[in-house]
Amino acid sequence: MIKKLIEIVGQDNFTDQLEELVPYSYDASMNVHRPDAAVWPETAEQVLAIVKFANEYKIPVIPRGAGTSLSGGVVPIRGGVIIDLSKMNRILEVSIENRYARVEAGVVCDDLNRELAKHGFVFPPDPASSTVSTIGGNVATNAGGIKGAKYGTTRDYVLGLQVVLPTGELMRTGSYTMKCVSGYDLAKLFVGAEGTLGVITEVTLKINPLPRHAMTAVATYARLEDAGKAIFQTMTSGVIPSVMEILDQVTLKSIRDNTDIDLPDAEAMILTEADGFTWEEVEAQMEVVLSILKQNHPIEVKTARDEKDRLNLWKARKSAYATLARVSNSFVLDDVTVPISRIPELLVGIQGISQKYGIVVATFGHAGDGNLHPQILYDEYDPDQVKRTKKVEEEIFKLTISLKGTLSGEHGIGLSKASYMTLEHDPVEMDLMRRVKKTLDPNNIMNPGKRALD
Amino acid sequence: MFTQLQFDEKRRKAITQCSRCGFCRAVCPIFDLTKRPITNAHGKIILLKEVMEGKLPATEEVAKAMLRCTACMNCTVNCPSGVDPQEIVKAARRDMVGIGFDNLFKAMGEVVEKYGNIYGEEKRRDWGHRKERAPYLLFLGCVGAYREEESVKETVHLLDLLKVDYTMIDEVCCSGVLEDVGYKIKEDLAKRNIQEIQKTGAKTLITTCPYCYRVFKDHPSYKDLGLEVKHITQFLKDFDFQVKTDKKVTYHDPCDLGRHAGIYDEPRAIIRKIAPNFVEPRRTRENAMCCGAGSGFRGAFPKESVKIARNRLSQIIEDTGAEILLTECPSCLHNFRNAKRQKQKIEIYNLTEFLAKLYGERTSGEKEAA
Repeated sequence: MIKKLIEIVGQDNFTDQLEELVPYSYDASMNVHRPDAAVWPETAEQVLAIVKFANEYKIPVIPRGAGTSLSGGVVPIRGGVIIDLSKMNRILEVSIENRYARVEAGVVCDDLNRELAKHGFVFPPDPASSTVSTIGGNVATNAGGIKGAKYGTTRDYVLGLQVVLPTGELMRTGSYTMKCVSGYDLAKLFVGAEGTLGVITEVTLKINPLPRHAMTAVATYARLEDAGKAIFQTMTSGVIPSVMEILDQVTLKSIRDNTDIDLPDAEAMILTEADGFTWEEVEAQMEVVLSILKQNHPIEVKTARDEKDRLNLWKARKSAYATLARVSNSFVLDDVTVPISRIPELLVGIQGISQKYGIVVATFGHAGDGNLHPQILYDEYDPDQVKRTKKVEEEIFKLTISLKGTLSGEHGIGLSKASYMTLEHDPVEMDLMRRVKKTLDPNNIMNPGKRALD
Repeated sequence: MFTQLQFDEKRRKAITQCSRCGFCRAVCPIFDLTKRPITNAHGKIILLKEVMEGKLPATEEVAKAMLRCTACMNCTVNCPSGVDPQEIVKAARRDMVGIGFDNLFKAMGEVVEKYGNIYGEEKRRDWGHRKERAPYLLFLGCVGAYREEESVKETVHLLDLLKVDYTMIDEVCCSGVLEDVGYKIKEDLAKRNIQEIQKTGAKTLITTCPYCYRVFKDHPSYKDLGLEVKHITQFLKDFDFQVKTDKKVTYHDPCDLGRHAGIYDEPRAIIRKIAPNFVEPRRTRENAMCCGAGSGFRGAFPKESVKIARNRLSQIIEDTGAEILLTECPSCLHNFRNAKRQKQKIEIYNLTEFLAKLYGERTSGEKEAA
């Protein structure tokens, strides 16, 4: 195996040295397993040769971008070869006149946006990891971000893909056009597939004009119920804010206790933004949003329109993850998503579960699209806490499904949520998913062991 | 060989605090070059976590991996979990040496001990300025004195032009860098420096090297120094300079001066006085990318180090289109000058060197006019 892989990618782009494989045994979840080797291909042809070889000898291959996955999605649970696409990081084409950008899979999300910004354009989905996350990884997990309510997720921007199929063929699918109904939408099948159906080597993305102006508002509420109403009323008012974030009481308390950010003792905070081409457009939207925020008995409402004041209002939200990450040595960060009107029920329910098991859960997230991030804080070296954390997670998933929600809004299923797939998907659907997988990947070499597919 | 490292509570906490978010990938100069996770902060912390948990033996390769860090601290300031990886890495280097994995800096320690400088140079250029007593003392450091002599010559000249009453000593290496790479500071050398410095009766010690600055200021072996320590940019910030340039000027923050010592504004205050056409690179101040020289990295991995400098330099040129790149660190200067390609038109100077050059140009201009 070693000889063949070196022949394909060259000595410098191959490793099977134990120490170098150790970091590849992890992602940002608690799953761990060693791969047998790792390669850094530089062309789609090299990826093709690797996959062909792997398929012939039934060796698992795991495509990997920045490895920021929170679900175990890139942990090589059956061993095999990590295909690290970081060296395939060329922006191949920016076509402003046709409104698309064509990039290799390893291009970093922010690098693409820096290039697009020169032309006044943007690829809108903005996962928190965008400084490092790769476009290939964003596509494979259908990454979302803060602006999901107005701008959708990665899926909404994928026009076409180049994919190496598990059976060893190179396929181009999709189009370079704004519309396309030619054949099955195979490109979308690979979006969010978490590398279980093929290796994405190139992506053609729809791009948007960059909004020129934005205004930010923050409102704090003594009662969660009032915040919930404010969100619901805003989202049905005819205005879709570009940002609609919520921070719960535990998160706010943690920020208050661990930073110098001045926050009132509140059950919830809403951070919202309106953006647009002109100030008139932004102000008209903000007027509606502000009147709703104010009607629902806030403790206070603050607004900002220049960059400095805006950053100030963003401070609490931006520090949420970091503050919580410092409170405990380990955490699970989930991404359950419910229909927007069910957010208050989910938040209250999570707190009940947290108290029942004596495990701290701080929740914040994207209220505008129903996608919340319960961050379950625990000590990985305390077996009892590990056990209780598992129970907490399971109950949060059950609650989410009972609210007509989904296990994952933007992180993916990976290993962490694989055993809960049948909570959400009935046997008919599970069976079809497994048949799709088997059809495309008869030898089960592509990122095996994930999402309860085998 | 299966040797276990000992981790105290503080170290355990620092290692487990890493949430493996991978955000350090965006700022690590070595990862940027290699794309290999083992070279990144979070890769190294994962290695140590496994060693700590007994899953991985402390091997030669682990020791080698620990050497691949410039201690630039860019990951530290960008870590959402509040981890300071370079401290963890430096401690691990000491541990690895402690259990028998000596590295190439062992030899450097011997050289420093024998010759009083990191290069094993027997002869030191005579810089003059040997007054018995003076209020100020200028300390050059090894890299400037032995590898960037032309630059140091200009710096020395600048202080003369500004009529600073200073002296120099028969200096030896501050030897602080040995602690970065797994070994101990040379107490004898520290004592020798302290003695020589104190003999001059100086009230202020001025260093051109930001690393020497940190060692004199913070290292316990220099706690009895008993005088004020200033980096040369701190010392010069309130001076009036009679020179100006119209050229487009930019500035690279040395990691040892910026993130390590918090000195960002002083060099800029000086530059603004002399260069109205000053532009910042995109990655600057707390977010400035490293030149690739620090913490023994240039010594251990010279080829990679110069490639990193090349990347940083190209990026600065692309961002700013500047004609002049200034910095104030002999190591950064040395690495950038080695990295510069002939077709790149940018000129690279230490700030003090550039100032002296401007004075020189003014004088020759006046002569021509006369």
